[in-house]
Amino acid sequence: MMETDFLIQQLINGISIGLVYALMAIGFTLIFGVLNVVNFAHGEIYMLGAFVGLLLITTFAPPLFVVIIFVLAFGAVMGLALDRVAFRPFRRFRDEASMKSKAIREATLLSSLALSIVIREGVEKIFGSNMQVVPQDYLLISPVQIGSFSFASGQFLIFGLSMAMLVGLQLLLFKTHIGRSIRAVASNPAGAMYVGIHTENVIMATFAVGSMLGASAGIVVGLYQGAVFPAMGFAPGIKAFVAMVMGGLHSIPGAVICALILGIAETFTTSYLAQGWGDLVAYAFLLLTLIFFPTGIFGAARERV
Amino acid sequence: MLRRTVNEFLAIGLCAFASLASAQNEIAVGYQLPLTGDNSQYGTLFKNSADMALEQFNASGKLPGTKVVIKYEDSKSDAKEGVNIARKFSDDAHILGVIGDFNSTVSMAAGQIYAEQHVPQLSQSASHPDFLKISDWQFRNITTMAVESPFIAKWMAQNNLKHYAVIGIQNDWGQSSVKNFSEEAATLGNEVVDTEFFNPGNRDFRSILTKVARSKPDAIVLFMFYEEAASFLQQRAQMNVQTVVYGGSPLYEPKLLQLAGPAANGLMMPSTFVAQSADASVKAYVEGYRQRYGSEPSMFAAQAYDATNIMLDAIVAAGPEPTRAKVRDALAATHDYPGVTGVTTFDPITREVTKQLNRMIVSDGAYKVIQ
Amino acid sequence: MTSKKTVAAMLILMLVVVPAFLYWLNASYWFGVAGTMMVFAILAVSANLITGTTGLLSLGHAGFYGIGAYTAAMTATAWHWPFYLTIPAAGLAAAAVGILLALPIMRLVGIYFAVATLAVGEIIHVTLLNWVDFTHGPMGISGIPGIALAGVFKSGNLANYFAGAGLLIATVFAVHRLTHSYYGNALRSLREDDQCAQAMGLKVVRIKTEAFAFSCFFAGVAGALWAHTTQYISPGDFRFSESILILAMVVVGGLGSIPGALIGALLLVGLPEVLRPFGDYRMIGVGLVMFLCILFLPRGICGEVSAMALARKHLNAAWKPSQQLGWR
Repeated sequence: MMETDFLIQQLINGISIGLVYALMAIGFTLIFGVLNVVNFAHGEIYMLGAFVGLLLITTFAPPLFVVIIFVLAFGAVMGLALDRVAFRPFRRFRDEASMKSKAIREATLLSSLALSIVIREGVEKIFGSNMQVVPQDYLLISPVQIGSFSFASGQFLIFGLSMAMLVGLQLLLFKTHIGRSIRAVASNPAGAMYVGIHTENVIMATFAVGSMLGASAGIVVGLYQGAVFPAMGFAPGIKAFVAMVMGGLHSIPGAVICALILGIAETFTTSYLAQGWGDLVAYAFLLLTLIFFPTGIFGAARERV
Repeated sequence: MLRRTVNEFLAIGLCAFASLASAQNEIAVGYQLPLTGDNSQYGTLFKNSADMALEQFNASGKLPGTKVVIKYEDSKSDAKEGVNIARKFSDDAHILGVIGDFNSTVSMAAGQIYAEQHVPQLSQSASHPDFLKISDWQFRNITTMAVESPFIAKWMAQNNLKHYAVIGIQNDWGQSSVKNFSEEAATLGNEVVDTEFFNPGNRDFRSILTKVARSKPDAIVLFMFYEEAASFLQQRAQMNVQTVVYGGSPLYEPKLLQLAGPAANGLMMPSTFVAQSADASVKAYVEGYRQRYGSEPSMFAAQAYDATNIMLDAIVAAGPEPTRAKVRDALAATHDYPGVTGVTTFDPITREVTKQLNRMIVSDGAYKVIQ
Repeated sequence: MTSKKTVAAMLILMLVVVPAFLYWLNASYWFGVAGTMMVFAILAVSANLITGTTGLLSLGHAGFYGIGAYTAAMTATAWHWPFYLTIPAAGLAAAAVGILLALPIMRLVGIYFAVATLAVGEIIHVTLLNWVDFTHGPMGISGIPGIALAGVFKSGNLANYFAGAGLLIATVFAVHRLTHSYYGNALRSLREDDQCAQAMGLKVVRIKTEAFAFSCFFAGVAGALWAHTTQYISPGDFRFSESILILAMVVVGGLGSIPGALIGALLLVGLPEVLRPFGDYRMIGVGLVMFLCILFLPRGICGEVSAMALARKHLNAAWKPSQQLGWR
């Protein structure tokens, strides 16, 4: 294989890894943007989406788009439930001291973490912690050869899905009424309440949409990698979080671009050093970015606390 | 409220300890294994085999009048937990011997305690070269990679393969497997053109595949466990890499065939345990396992079955009043034990075992023995 | 503020009553649990210094814990240093690496700082795992000598216990003196509003770096204690999940309060042990307890403000009314 062919193939590999992180980062950033809290349970919604999709496939064997639609619906329901259990109890603190209190903010972070532990251990108890078998027909790894480069069918689907999500979200946020309300609540929750926006409904809607995206990401990636297991949300979740921060907390396109950068950094480290160091290079990239862009690449100026 | 909860915890703790102390006259074997967390799929296999072995043993009447129980503790593949469990088992006077753990890291951490407290420890799968050097109280019934890797290297040399790409998981087993393989290959005059380690948990091998394909090896050798191997084989098929693939004995696992599907055909590996063997004890074990648990046993399950039986037999051999020291001596004296993974004898000086390895291949979605 | 009587009572409890009780039980299991509790108590107190008092959420604490453990292990096995040299060396090494890696990120705030520490922690873990020639990689370092002094005492349960107790008391004392002083107030002002603090003349970046260095020092000491008491370490002990565990201890116990950190450590180490009879449901139980604690006590069991209120109630001192943070 010629050197340029090798580089391009590795680039393709890197982009496909990055898109997996990006899929999760999109939903994650949406929820963070509105609520300003890290949703540690997003990885578990991703995992649950994959498991539910797989259950559907093994029981009824419907066509793929039916599976995705079902998982979207399931994701929305899970998102609403998650909001109800892990986040709404902390919205009862509306006084000034609590809203500025770091303790409450970290408590919210930890409550979603605790819930993620419970969910993951629960799924492990029911299904076991090993990889679930995916029926061969549904695996999205049919090879597609373009010139001298190998692609998998799943890579195109993931690319298409992430583009659809990005464009769809931009349309939702900037062209619809509910999108404007979401942006208002993200910008200033108290202010939004004063102008009559029903913040509670908006937050629930955000959770529903974000979790829908997360769950569908889970089933698509699960089928693409052929790997569905209870701990599958943890590692991509960390990368998605990192991508979000690197991109500037409130920018969804920024998160996607940074996820791609992370994926490409990992692949090129594997090519020239060893896979083991891939994480180190990716995180070193993150540190470099934060040194030069203290609020992320596309981040806004620092907010007055 | 706080003082009350602290008191509650203390009370529960004391009750647990008291109940331990007041148990009736019975012999116990401790089993530490990962029932949750990483590697819990192996823990389940071990428990299945051990339960089966124990039931058969108690029914066989080899130890009249005394019932043997196995006390399982979940180590979550965490060295911290392993050490706690080791202390707990050592304190329990009923426990005469311990089986476990799955991986070497936890086995060795726990082993420090067992060595200090003089409890015989038999691991069905720990293959770190330093494990048996901790003390005279450590045993294992698995052949280490110091035996298996050279076997693979010689096999590949016999098949006229000269340039190898080696892909290993970054843990102690992967490290020692690759090291032993590379040394043997060099002795035979063959070349390892590329060595790639990957962090545990990695599922995307496309970049490694692309890199390995560039060095044009005659064969790829996999030193990883079955889940990663399944992903690897599928991605290899998708990227149309035709190079033949060999692997280590953990790949002898029926679930690998389910996960990888047709991509697994052509994979070759050694194994001590062969499910289709005509040997009577193997057939009985496979049939019994299939009936009880609805699936085929793998190499690790068979190892656990043998380990449990060896420990139980050692307890019988230790005489009518067994103590930990007597059980340890009985274990060390185990000679030509007819296990389902092969005839087991602990070397008198190193306590290592040597077993016969069979050559296996995956063809048409099933494992077959080849010459 | 704690009265002298309470402190004396706690010291007697820890140095006399508990070891006597454990010795009488003669169960090395409970000694082991106590040892682990002490290591994590030191970690929680050091994490509390940076996350609770200074308000900088740190997600990479396990990395410095790991550096301390590896420094102690390597100096003890390769150069045969005794424990009274390896432990301070471990602390210094962790602090040095902390300063080095933290210098570039000290200007970051809030969640950016948190992610940067996560990156630092992961970088340390990946290095420990993959730099096989130096750290033995996944093989780990075994045969680390225990805590023993030739001719004076041998290593064993009691030696480990007293070493741990001694280090814990020293750590709590040091952190207490740091936080209950004008310096501690400076740290708290950074937590509450660092732009204001800078406007008032505090050198924010320097103070942050110092606090981070102290926190890493104690984490390194905890690592050395772990290495000497378990005598085998491997990179798997120092992953991101450990950092999360330490953070959970600090938050559940209460941010900003030392008794809170201690209670959090005791709870989150003791709970999985106590729940062992529940078998597989154990970790679900731990997660649920954590969740309920946070739900009903979001400021932690013993958060900084409520610890004050507690003290006020008990001591019946003439105190200025409610919301008062800091030391006077």
